[in-house]
Amino acid sequence: MPEQWTLTLRLYRQKANEAPRYDTFTLQVNPDEYVLDAVERVWAFHDRSLCFRHACHHSTCGACGMRVNGVEKLTCITPLRAVTQNGAVLTIEPLRNFPIVSDLVVDMGDLYRKMERVNARAVLPVTEAEIEHPASTWNPEDAQYLRLSDCLECGLCISACPVAATTAAYLGPAPLAAIQDQGMRRHPELLPLADSEDGVWRCHSAFECTAVCPSFVDPARRIMDLRRQVVGAKLRQVFGK
Amino acid sequence: MNNPPSFQYPTGPRPGETAWLWLVKIVTGPLLVLILALHLTVNHYLGSAHSGLMTYDDIVAYFRNPLIPAIEILFVITVVTHSLVGLRGIVLDLNPPRSVLRLINWGFGLFGLLTIGYGIWLALVIASKST
Amino acid sequence: MNNQPSSRKLLTWFNPLGRNPGAWAFILNRLTGLGLTFYLFLHLIVLGRLAQGPQAYEEFLELTKSPLVKLGELLVIGAVIYHALNGLRVVLTSFGLGIRQQTQMFYLSVLLALVGTLVFAIRMFAG
Repeated sequence: MPEQWTLTLRLYRQKANEAPRYDTFTLQVNPDEYVLDAVERVWAFHDRSLCFRHACHHSTCGACGMRVNGVEKLTCITPLRAVTQNGAVLTIEPLRNFPIVSDLVVDMGDLYRKMERVNARAVLPVTEAEIEHPASTWNPEDAQYLRLSDCLECGLCISACPVAATTAAYLGPAPLAAIQDQGMRRHPELLPLADSEDGVWRCHSAFECTAVCPSFVDPARRIMDLRRQVVGAKLRQVFGK
Repeated sequence: MNNPPSFQYPTGPRPGETAWLWLVKIVTGPLLVLILALHLTVNHYLGSAHSGLMTYDDIVAYFRNPLIPAIEILFVITVVTHSLVGLRGIVLDLNPPRSVLRLINWGFGLFGLLTIGYGIWLALVIASKST
Repeated sequence: MNNQPSSRKLLTWFNPLGRNPGAWAFILNRLTGLGLTFYLFLHLIVLGRLAQGPQAYEEFLELTKSPLVKLGELLVIGAVIYHALNGLRVVLTSFGLGIRQQTQMFYLSVLLALVGTLVFAIRMFAG
């Protein structure tokens, strides 16, 4: 018999032209289930008008980003046990810094357009992967094999970033990380965008993006590395190398 | 609900911040740490062991050493530059209209130059009282 | 639907709730930066009295003996130490150094700023 918890979900609700409110639902859950499972159960058994995004349930599609007790989480891989306790109230809200479409669903169009604008790679040669193996362990012919890029485009980093809160024009962590991933030397056409008011200098080093990134992107480190790349590219421009 | 794009790409990146401006901030910063350590030690530590503040005569006496006005002038140049570039960074987060930003660029530039000029004048006036 | 980015969300910049140490460092850096900029220009104006001769300056020195001014000076000292150390942290991480230790570096900056302020406080009020 799996462990049973009684949990109260406090969900952010807002439909078009309505004022926001919170609805609460009390459920029996297994603490090893995920936050998304609990939200889904509210929809299935309590309120069919609840809107939320989800698809793959295994951290690949990046659709189910929400704020859980104020912190950005990819809810399909966040066990209830990790964020709450038996008998507690769990508050679930939509991501910040995106327009709300309905309840927990936000319009992430801006992020996708920015990722397109910087030509973010959806796949990359396995030899360029930073996580599993160091570059030296690959054979040159392995470059023909591709892997999915680490970034899920889930928008958690944009939601957590204090600078993204001030303007939609700021590229934000994921797109800047995508520029770093491609590199200034190979993609000098991205330099004017990276070296702009809405690019790499707008980051104020709060490191919130890396704190919430559910994948291996580590956007803050990549933004810092992009700074080095941009300064290098600018110096090369001046000294003509 | 229809949400149009809230940013203007690809009309071109906004040029309000560049690597050079950032380098100015990042170079004057550590430089300031050094100069400020000198400024605090000389003016507020060696100067007067009791209150931490020098008397008029203390200051005039200190400025006899030509290194002191040189340090103070370097200090005023770096600190004013760093503070105004930093302040401009905060202003950028308020997303001013382009016309306002241009005004701020010129205004901060002029204000900075005047302040640095005033600081240099002050250091030289005090130094001249020492001779 | 007030969920869009907006420069009018000024107060949220300074809200440390639900944020990580990196953001606290940024908030403190911004607050101390604003405070120090204000103090810098105040300092420069006040020092103008030096040009007016000894009497004008000594009058100002009398003013600095009030506990309220001393408290203000302590705030400036704490802000300077924090802003300087955290600034070095930002410089280091911007060049890819110590990114994994950025939280510890922030706590160290705060600790040293507090210790430094305490040392100056003892000196100021005991002397």
